[in-house]
Amino acid sequence: MNTATGFIKAIQSGTKHIVMKRFTLRYPEEKLKFTGDGYQFDPKKGVGIAGTRGRHILFHDKCTGCQLCAIACEGIAEAITMVKVDEQWKQNKKSIMPQIDYGKCVFCGFCVDACPFYALYMTNDYELSAYTKTHLIYTPAQLAVKPRDDGEVEIKMGKRGAYHGR
Amino acid sequence: MSTLDDKINEINRLAIQITKDNDDDRLMNLSIGPQHPGSGHFRIVIKVDGDYIVYADPDIGYVHRGEEKMSEHRNFIQNIPHLERPVIHDSTNIIYSYSLAIEELIGINPPRRGQFVRAIAAELDRLVYTTYWLAIYGIFLGHSTMFMWPTGDRELIIDLLERMTGHRVTHAFSVPGGVRNDIPYNFKEKCLTQINYFEKRLKEYEDIFYNNPLLRQRTEGVGIMNKEDAIKLGVTGSVLRASGVPYDIRKVEPYDVYDEIDFKVQYMKSCDTFARAYVPYLDMKESCHIIRQLLDKMPDEGSVREKIVGNVKAQPGETYRRVESGRGALGYYIISDGSTKPYRLKISTGSFRNILALPFLLVGSKLGDMPAIYWALNYWPIEADR
Repeated sequence: MNTATGFIKAIQSGTKHIVMKRFTLRYPEEKLKFTGDGYQFDPKKGVGIAGTRGRHILFHDKCTGCQLCAIACEGIAEAITMVKVDEQWKQNKKSIMPQIDYGKCVFCGFCVDACPFYALYMTNDYELSAYTKTHLIYTPAQLAVKPRDDGEVEIKMGKRGAYHGR
Repeated sequence: MSTLDDKINEINRLAIQITKDNDDDRLMNLSIGPQHPGSGHFRIVIKVDGDYIVYADPDIGYVHRGEEKMSEHRNFIQNIPHLERPVIHDSTNIIYSYSLAIEELIGINPPRRGQFVRAIAAELDRLVYTTYWLAIYGIFLGHSTMFMWPTGDRELIIDLLERMTGHRVTHAFSVPGGVRNDIPYNFKEKCLTQINYFEKRLKEYEDIFYNNPLLRQRTEGVGIMNKEDAIKLGVTGSVLRASGVPYDIRKVEPYDVYDEIDFKVQYMKSCDTFARAYVPYLDMKESCHIIRQLLDKMPDEGSVREKIVGNVKAQPGETYRRVESGRGALGYYIISDGSTKPYRLKISTGSFRNILALPFLLVGSKLGDMPAIYWALNYWPIEADR
C-alpha cells in the first residue's frame, strides 16, 4: 500500500466516527444494570451463583457465629473481625457476628464460599466511599441492610455503534 | 562466533569501559523511569552518544512484592487473590497455571463444562490485556486515537467478564477444581454479539493504526531480532512469534480443552518492531475465533467445579505447569511437602524473559526509537518483579 492511500484510509476511518454514538457512560446520572442480586454460594453443591461481588449482606437469623468467614479472610485481607451483638438468636449462642472493614476488603468473595449456613452473600452495592476510615467499617447491623438497586443502563449495539442505553 | 555473541561481548565491554571513565563528557546518562514517564514502574539506564544509544541496562525490581515468599504462608485457596495482583488485566491466565499445578498436586480433574468456562474466561482476559497494551503502545507513539479506541472497546469485554465472574479486573475466578460459578443465563448470546462487534472494530484498528504510514515508518526495520537470536535470548510469546518461530503453549502443550479447538499459531517472519506490535493484534483476532468455538462446543449441562474442602491437603511432590498468557509462557513450579500450604512456589513469567532482550535491541538504535522498541516487547513490570 502506498503512502497516500494509507493516509486517506486512516483519516476516513477516523472521520466516520463523527456520526457514531458516544460510548461513554455518564456515571452518576446513569448506572449499570447487573445480572443478578450479587454473588452467592451454594455450600451443598459447592458451586457459586454468578453475580457482582460488591458489599456483603448478612442474614442475622442464619448466622451462627462460627467464624469460618473470618478464618477464610485471615490470609487474604484480614478485613473480617467477629464482634459482640446485643441480639439474642437461638442458633447464635455466643452472639458474635462478622464486622467487615471495607478499607481492607478485596472483594474476592472467599468468605461467602466459606459460609456453610447461607448467611453471608454479596450484593450489587459498589458505592462505598466515605469521609473517614472508620466509616468504612460496617457493623453487623449495617451489613443486614439490603442495598437499593437502581441501575438501568447496559451496553447495546446499534447501527451507529455500541452505546450505553436503557 | 554469531552476531548475538559479538553484540553481547560489545555490550559487556562498553559497560566496563563506561564505568571506568564515567566522567566522559561525550556520553550522556539518561534514567528513564522508574516513576512512569513512559516506562511503567521500571527504570532503564541509558547512555547516549549524540542520538544513538550505546549502553542500556534494564533495572528491574522497583515493584517487587515478594509474591513467592507470601505464598508459603497461605493455603492453596488463600493464595489466589494475591497471586493475581501482578497482572490484574490478565488475572485469569496468571491463576490458570496455578490452578492446573494445584489440581495435579491434589489429584483432581475439573468437570468438562468447568474447563470450557475457564478457557472462555482466559481468552476474554487475553483480549482485555492486549487491548490495554495496544492503548499504551498507541499513546507512547503519539497516536492518541489509538489510546481512546481500545480503552473504550475494552469495556465491552470487561462487561462480559463482570457478568461472568463478578468483577471487572481481579476476577479470582479460576480455582483448583474448575471455576467458582457457572455463566449467567443469557451470557452466550451477549458474548457472541459483543465479540462480533469487537471483531468489526479490530478491522478499523488496522486502517487507522497498523496500515498508517507514520507507524510503519517508525517501526519497520527497527530493532531487528532474528530467529536464532530470539531462541538464544529465550524470549517467549508474541516477541518470539514475531521473530518467525511458531511457538504457542496452547499448541505445544495443550491444557484443558485446547486440543479440541481449531486455531492457528499467528507468527510473522519480518523480525522487526512492527512484527512485534502486529502479532498481539493477530492473536486478538484468533482469540475471538477461539471464543466462538468454545461457546459452540461447551456442554449445556453439568457442574463447573469439583468440590474440595477449603483447607485441602496436597500430596508430597513437585510440579510445573504453564499456560500461554498475554505475554508468553507463564508457568508455576510448586513443591509440596504434603501440608496445606506450598513448600516453595516459583513463578516464571513471560515479561521477565522478554525484558532480557532489551539491551540487545536498544544498543545501536536511536533514542527516538526507544518507546517503539520497548513497548513492543509486551512488558508488564509488576509481573516481571513479582
